[in-house]
Amino acid sequence: MSDEHTTPTHDDTPQPATAPASDAPSDDRGEAQTGAGADARGETQAGAGADARGETRNVKVEPAGDGRFKVSVCAGTACVFAGSMAVHDAFVEEVKAAGLEDKVDVSIIGCHGLCSQSPVVVCSDDSFYGGLKPTDVAAVVEQHLKGGAPVEKLLYKDPATGEAVRDWHEIGFYKQQTRIALRNVGVIDPESLEECLARGGYEAARTCLTEKTPEWIIQHVTDSGVRGRGGAGFPTGVKWEFAHKSPGAEKYIICNADEGDPGAFMDCSILEGDPHAVIEGLLIGSYAIGAHEGYVYVRAEYPLAVKRLTQAIADAEARGFLGDDCFGSGWRFHLHIKLGAGAFVCGEETALIASIEGKRGMPRTRPPYPAVSGLWGKPTNINNVETLANIAWIINNGAEAYAALGAERSRGTKAFSLAGKIVNGGLAEVPMGSTLRHIIFDVGGGIKDGREFKAVQLGGPSGGCLPASLLDTPIDYESLAATGAIVGSGGMVVVDDQTCMVDLARFFLQFTQRESCGKCVPCRLGTKRMLEVLDRIMAGDGREEDLDLLEELSHYIIDGTLCALGGTAPNPVLTTLKYFREEYEAHVREKRCPAGKCKALITYYIDPEACTGCTLCAKKCPTNVISGEKKQPHVIDVAGCIKCDTCRQVCKFDAVKIRSGIAQTAEV
Amino acid sequence: MLGMFKAMRTTLRHLPRKPITVQYPEERPALPERSRGLFRVVIDPVSGEPRCRACTLCETNCPVQVIRVNYESKYELPLPNAARVADARIDLQPPVDMKLLKPVLDDWREHGTGLIAVMQNTQEQYGYLPRAAICEISTQTGVSLSQIYGVASFYNQFRLSPIGKYVIDVCHGTACHVAGAPLITAALEEELGVDEGKTTKDMLFTLSSVACMGACSQAPVMRIGDETYGNLTPDRTRKIIRDAMAKVGAVKG
Repeated sequence: MSDEHTTPTHDDTPQPATAPASDAPSDDRGEAQTGAGADARGETQAGAGADARGETRNVKVEPAGDGRFKVSVCAGTACVFAGSMAVHDAFVEEVKAAGLEDKVDVSIIGCHGLCSQSPVVVCSDDSFYGGLKPTDVAAVVEQHLKGGAPVEKLLYKDPATGEAVRDWHEIGFYKQQTRIALRNVGVIDPESLEECLARGGYEAARTCLTEKTPEWIIQHVTDSGVRGRGGAGFPTGVKWEFAHKSPGAEKYIICNADEGDPGAFMDCSILEGDPHAVIEGLLIGSYAIGAHEGYVYVRAEYPLAVKRLTQAIADAEARGFLGDDCFGSGWRFHLHIKLGAGAFVCGEETALIASIEGKRGMPRTRPPYPAVSGLWGKPTNINNVETLANIAWIINNGAEAYAALGAERSRGTKAFSLAGKIVNGGLAEVPMGSTLRHIIFDVGGGIKDGREFKAVQLGGPSGGCLPASLLDTPIDYESLAATGAIVGSGGMVVVDDQTCMVDLARFFLQFTQRESCGKCVPCRLGTKRMLEVLDRIMAGDGREEDLDLLEELSHYIIDGTLCALGGTAPNPVLTTLKYFREEYEAHVREKRCPAGKCKALITYYIDPEACTGCTLCAKKCPTNVISGEKKQPHVIDVAGCIKCDTCRQVCKFDAVKIRSGIAQTAEV
Repeated sequence: MLGMFKAMRTTLRHLPRKPITVQYPEERPALPERSRGLFRVVIDPVSGEPRCRACTLCETNCPVQVIRVNYESKYELPLPNAARVADARIDLQPPVDMKLLKPVLDDWREHGTGLIAVMQNTQEQYGYLPRAAICEISTQTGVSLSQIYGVASFYNQFRLSPIGKYVIDVCHGTACHVAGAPLITAALEEELGVDEGKTTKDMLFTLSSVACMGACSQAPVMRIGDETYGNLTPDRTRKIIRDAMAKVGAVKG
């Protein structure tokens, strides 16, 4: 898997063009840490005017404009799932009942980051409540809002010491972060332009449009070293310059918010939590390249993001920030929203353009690059959401402050969504060049339930799985490409020893297979054949030559496809084959699944020592194949077992076990 | 014997010559700079008619999009069989209120919204894309039926058959998959008696899957209508769906 294939739009591509920011379905991810981390961080903080505790210190819920104490309930997707709106309503009601309305303001914020604690509530005195239930609200109102003392037992507890943390900036997860793109996410009410303005929103755009030249902006962005955060990592300044120099009076700027990677939600969180940062980035970009029309191409699966973005655009237009005369500078810029219709491949820029034009979203060959001939055949510039969210900060704080963060050729910070078997799941932004170990263990707090780290999956369906031996890899575009994974959009899924790597590879391949647009034969048929081989292996019918066949097919697909979807589709298979080959071999040669996941290769049994005969499993079994007397050890009849895992999950004594291997006879 | 010599002579004669074959695409023939080859429509020598059937495949697949297919028939053709079948299928679908389509098409005329937006708005009105509505859109906008069908079948969002009153979306993102989403879908399939992607016969529940809802920390998650459920287990899922089915009086299958 040579790098030029896995990250097809690498910045050393000689072509003159805008290749890539969101080249593919994959978006970027990058982080990097720092050999020179400490210094770099120090400088940036100085630039941003933050104190020694880091950029997050600057990120805080301010009291309401009229000085009222503020209670902010997180309304990010995960918190809404966990019932945060009910908590919000309970707060409104209790505050009203306690007659504190003139002292306390209850509001909502975008994703605050620590999703594993959802629903999250943050107050303007920096206290942090995690996992709050509507029934707990009365106690908080009584003791904290009235009495002034936070409710100790409901505050976030440090997992190591078990002590309540009073200031959320002290929580390990937040302490390690440097927030630039996420500077206002989880801090302001995303539906209020006033709160955004209070934190310096639109100042950069006003300065640029009224005082600076497009050349100055492009130079500034180039100097900052910011690269496309959608996955491909093409330098944003260079991309803008191509579009700027491209002849033509009619140009377009597009924000790629078609975040299709399963397990990645940074772009969603930015749009939901701080839509104005993206609008401001687009406005500055439009002026730099000379575009009067802009589009935000956003997934229809993110209804909340669409709603808030629509509201934000309307607010900005009403204030004269967008429209025929932006900031009274005479600059004309109109922004429209285009809803995607659920096709992963539309994250690829040429497919995205086809989709906006109302066609099937199929990629085409480049050149001509969109900077020359894009939307409706006009010069077009496409940037990722996170890239655009960085722009205003760069203008405000200077290119040097941004370039001081990061390592090597990857500068600045990158937002990641941490998910899977990790303690602190959520949204984190760290300097590029941080090591994987730093993100997973220092920021993420390690593996859930004290289990063992097995692998981390980076870059979604275009990325790869890296084993524990590569944990010290710095997260920058080049280092990660060398391992076979990619920075991608920023989805980071951590898996423990209970996850089967063959199953994980199959999961991603099934995804790309389903999403292949069908234009290139190697992608359309090759992925299908690979999927059949993996299915065979998982069913216990794998053949010795299958592993070589998988590798061979992978290379045909990588070489024979037009866009990055096909060019990176085999990555999950190739990386798992490279780093976890013994697991494939166990499936093929010994017909067993070491992780105990592949249904055809495992057997459930009840440990007679541990079973207390509580009959719970027998009651829950959907096929009634568990038998046994009360208070006597039970037995599973493997012939009828559908391996639905219900018995194992309901057992309170861990007596239901999985044996790796095919059942030979009825076992006890 | 003689034939063999003849063959050998041909072989030997070509041996010192330069090969004519070019190893495209590694090597490229030296063509004039502006050479683009030539497209033309092959005329069938027997019938004298062009062989092109205006299927638009070349237009769809041309990597640089230089082909445009414009076609109209010279003849008053009888309705082809395919169209008659399509008409018959429209009759099979439940009748739809075509008045709902008017605001969608008015919006298109006024604002020039793209084809995809027209289809999205249509789906919002009906819950799916009824054949009758697709035919009407084609007539009104001048976009060919095949192109609309091409777009409709390309994007996951568009549905060509009616869906149930409540849609069950099971998240199959990476985090949910690792946390056991396949077991959740399996449990739902069994309780509802339908496969993934299908609707129960009483048109109450549609079991579908989505790539990622962004609630990874609550994995595995699902959504039934507007209600969301996190941290699911197969057992809890069965309970939730049984309750939901009992509430609306749904039957399995």
